Amino acid sequence: MIDLALVPTAVLLAAAVLELALARWLSRAAKGWLACSAAAAAAAGVLALARRTGHGEVVTAAGGNWDAGVPVAYHVDGLSVMFMLMGTVIGGAILLYSVRYMEHEAEGTTRFYVLMLSFIGGFTLLVGTSNLLLVYVAWEAMGLCSYFLVGFWYRQQASVDGARKVLIITHVGGYGLLAAIVMLFVRSGTFDWTDPAMATALSGGLVALLLVAAMAKSVLYPLHTWIPEAMNAPTPVSGLLHSACYVKCGVYLIARLYSIGPWHDVFGDALLLVGCVTMLVGAVFAVAQTDLKKLLAFSTVSQLGYIVTGLALGTDLGVAAGLYYAASHGLFKGTLFLCAGAVQHTTGTRDMRTLGGIAARMPVTTAVWLVAAAAIVGVPGTTGFVAKWLLFGAALEARQVVVVAVAWIVSLVTVFYFLKATISVFYGAPGPELRTDDIREVAPSMRVGMGVLGTACLVFGVAPQLLMQPVVAPAVRSLGFDWNIQLTWLGVMTGAGAAAVTAGGGAVIAAAALGGLVFGLVHASPARAVAVFSGGDPLPSGDALGAVDFAEMAQTAFTPVYSLDPDPLYIRIWHAIRDTAVGLGTVARATAEDHPVATAAVSIAILCGGVWLL
Amino acid sequence: MTELIVLSCLIAGIGLYAWSVPQGSRSWWLLAGATAGLVLAAIAVSNSVRSTGDSWTAAILLDLAELAAVALVWTRATDESGRAARRYLGAIVPAIACTLIGGGLLQSGAPPAVEKLALCLLVFGFALKLAWIPLYFWLPDVAAHAPVMTTALIVSVVDIGTLTELAGLRARAPQLFDDHAAVWTAIALLSMYGGVLLALAQRELKRMLAFSTIGDVGLLVLGLVAGGATGLSGASIGALNHALSKVLLFGAVGLAERGLGRSVTLDTRGLAARLPVPAAVFVIGALGFIGVPPGFGFGAYWRIYLAAANYGGPALLGALLVVAVLDLFCYARAIHCTWLGPARDAVTGVPATLAPAALVALAVLMIGLGLYPGVLTAVPGPVLAVVTGR
Repeated sequence: MIDLALVPTAVLLAAAVLELALARWLSRAAKGWLACSAAAAAAAGVLALARRTGHGEVVTAAGGNWDAGVPVAYHVDGLSVMFMLMGTVIGGAILLYSVRYMEHEAEGTTRFYVLMLSFIGGFTLLVGTSNLLLVYVAWEAMGLCSYFLVGFWYRQQASVDGARKVLIITHVGGYGLLAAIVMLFVRSGTFDWTDPAMATALSGGLVALLLVAAMAKSVLYPLHTWIPEAMNAPTPVSGLLHSACYVKCGVYLIARLYSIGPWHDVFGDALLLVGCVTMLVGAVFAVAQTDLKKLLAFSTVSQLGYIVTGLALGTDLGVAAGLYYAASHGLFKGTLFLCAGAVQHTTGTRDMRTLGGIAARMPVTTAVWLVAAAAIVGVPGTTGFVAKWLLFGAALEARQVVVVAVAWIVSLVTVFYFLKATISVFYGAPGPELRTDDIREVAPSMRVGMGVLGTACLVFGVAPQLLMQPVVAPAVRSLGFDWNIQLTWLGVMTGAGAAAVTAGGGAVIAAAALGGLVFGLVHASPARAVAVFSGGDPLPSGDALGAVDFAEMAQTAFTPVYSLDPDPLYIRIWHAIRDTAVGLGTVARATAEDHPVATAAVSIAILCGGVWLL
Repeated sequence: MTELIVLSCLIAGIGLYAWSVPQGSRSWWLLAGATAGLVLAAIAVSNSVRSTGDSWTAAILLDLAELAAVALVWTRATDESGRAARRYLGAIVPAIACTLIGGGLLQSGAPPAVEKLALCLLVFGFALKLAWIPLYFWLPDVAAHAPVMTTALIVSVVDIGTLTELAGLRARAPQLFDDHAAVWTAIALLSMYGGVLLALAQRELKRMLAFSTIGDVGLLVLGLVAGGATGLSGASIGALNHALSKVLLFGAVGLAERGLGRSVTLDTRGLAARLPVPAAVFVIGALGFIGVPPGFGFGAYWRIYLAAANYGGPALLGALLVVAVLDLFCYARAIHCTWLGPARDAVTGVPATLAPAALVALAVLMIGLGLYPGVLTAVPGPVLAVVTGR
């Protein structure tokens, strides 16, 4: 009988094997349904685990040795279950959406589903195992899956370029994790992070290495630049990468550090800085985008900044805010990507300069998008509001005023670019190239896929207790923090930390009311067209503010921020390596290859010198 | 047992490939069979005489295998391959002489000066055999001008034999390694950095593969030098991974060359669109070779990293990881420049069926070993036994 803790991973990997074995006989849709069923079964397994971890129990399991001296040890606690749920539930919804989305692909559907299942399975292994070497294996296995998934259309240059960037940045960052794991073993003699020896072995340098790996995976500045390039992939891939699994690996690792060893203030401060810069840079870059998926990609960067900031606060409330934000982000970002995919699937484009006015043609997609967009900007009644409310409360409680200011500014910028995206895509006038007559609502299963996630954004926004008590609270407790958060319906805090954030919220409402009052008092006239002399007859265009205007305006306004793009630095590093290699090649050809006898003579002289002297 | 099966599969894969895509005349088959057979015999002998310490028979068998490999390069009968064979012979003859004399000098109770002389001769000999930097002059020519399976046989099967011989030396005379650890470490690092940087400097894929072989052998040598059960088993598994992945990589490039009718370089584009199976094989081989988990190579890499961290501390571990990053750059560039992306180069050659099938079988074996390395490491086979002394 297989241990319950192993069930989610086992089910997903078994389904991947089944996909391969039955590939010849299954239709494309059947492959999708098989994958979707496996995710549902895995989610059911996780829910069974949640019943036990909800009471503070830790479910352990051993699945034999993966390698000599490397046991498949599972240690499933509240944190593991929370991330497993995100992976399997959101992953399941994305797979449901994929059934029809991928039905039209002429080839590669088996590859797609095998990779998606392995990806989610790898995620459950990553968050479930207590063996750090297996954590690294899962970490990189997911990296490989994402590499192949981003490069799914391997005949397209943009896809493979994006895939290469994913591979290089995340894998190079992953070496930080490997180095830390190796050094931890050298110092503690174990790969098991639950072993008390691990805590004493965890030094500041090793934490820094782990954070580098987390930054690369969780798109934290300056290791975030792979994510916009990864957009030339099937939308379910983008959804899975951005919402549920991939970018959450680093979040999990950062959170897990709290249960491994002592957390020094200096790391909290450094991570706070990284989180704030990331949320700011992500938002500012998002403003400048005219590609809908790239805008969402940069918004992921920004939102991950929020999540990490919450965790970096290191307080009961901060960690709770970070974890709730992570779950909330999984829901609304998954929804947004699936909506963007539906738009692209139907219109054939994701260029906001071309799109427009499709709300009438795709009312369900529009409604779901609006819910998710409301969540990401933090409208009350959605999960995003609860997450932001918690985060602001935590930052105020910790007296991190700068964090509050940055988070508040970024929230405003987020509203700005989501208004731009919403109006450009769903309202306003479509571009001349867009054939609106052909636009139809997507298939029902795709609507259900995104609808499930969108509904969850609302349900857990109105009644956050449903997510807090059974899922987030055990996760927070499993990290050694206390859970003393009291929430009303809609997520307004009434317990610890409530005073500051309520006062802050009151101030914002008062300011808005004051603004409205002033506006009313001065009797501002309604907006009307202003006659502008254009040198003769009116010019034919330029009467509406569109995505391009926003983008150009943003580029002008935020030019100094765009110089923070680290890609030019990476290019210089690569050129330096390449030039060194070419220079060495020239020297080697002229010496070792063209004059081997002389080279041998010199070598043996140096060797003898070394042997006798050293 | 598993290890023997893997080696047998490897040799069978080379044979099937050569059956499907002719690598030479009848003499090629004879010499290839002799090379593989002599290496297997040498490993078997090394394993059986571990307790007695008699290394001569195995060494002579391996030297004969090296000479057979030289003759194998010569069978192509072109000016370039003739030149490559002469250079190979020019390396192997002094290498054999040095290792035999060095081994002979290495008697118990030999004075320190003699032991140092023996060490110099042995290092020089192995450096020529395994093409360490800067004594690699023969390998790029062999890789560029010999048939791909000839090169694959040399850098996989023959290299495994030579590494086993080196591992045997490690077991018989540990003081040679422990007392001169700095020298060995410097040599290993020089080969690793030199190999990977020179690989990055190449534009022709077979030369790039040859140089990356040099770098990888440097890593395996470091595993042996670092020692301990972890380092030694890492080197042993790494040798198997090296062999498997190099056969896949050279095999895939060989099929691409057959299709294109010319060499594959970094200017070749989008071969995967026309040759999806060789492309997949190359990608699997490359990722396994550089040790991306769950590729087979990772089983070797983490052990060697662990041994290196124990032996040389974080600095040595950092040095190894920098090489790993450079390897990643090297192979990612090869995969993306040559294989993936829009097709540009016409493929006109007659497609082979058995050769891709053989490579796919080896790729599946490699993936399987990567997913579950326990099948190999639970019970040590002859190479692992020679290396680890278990």
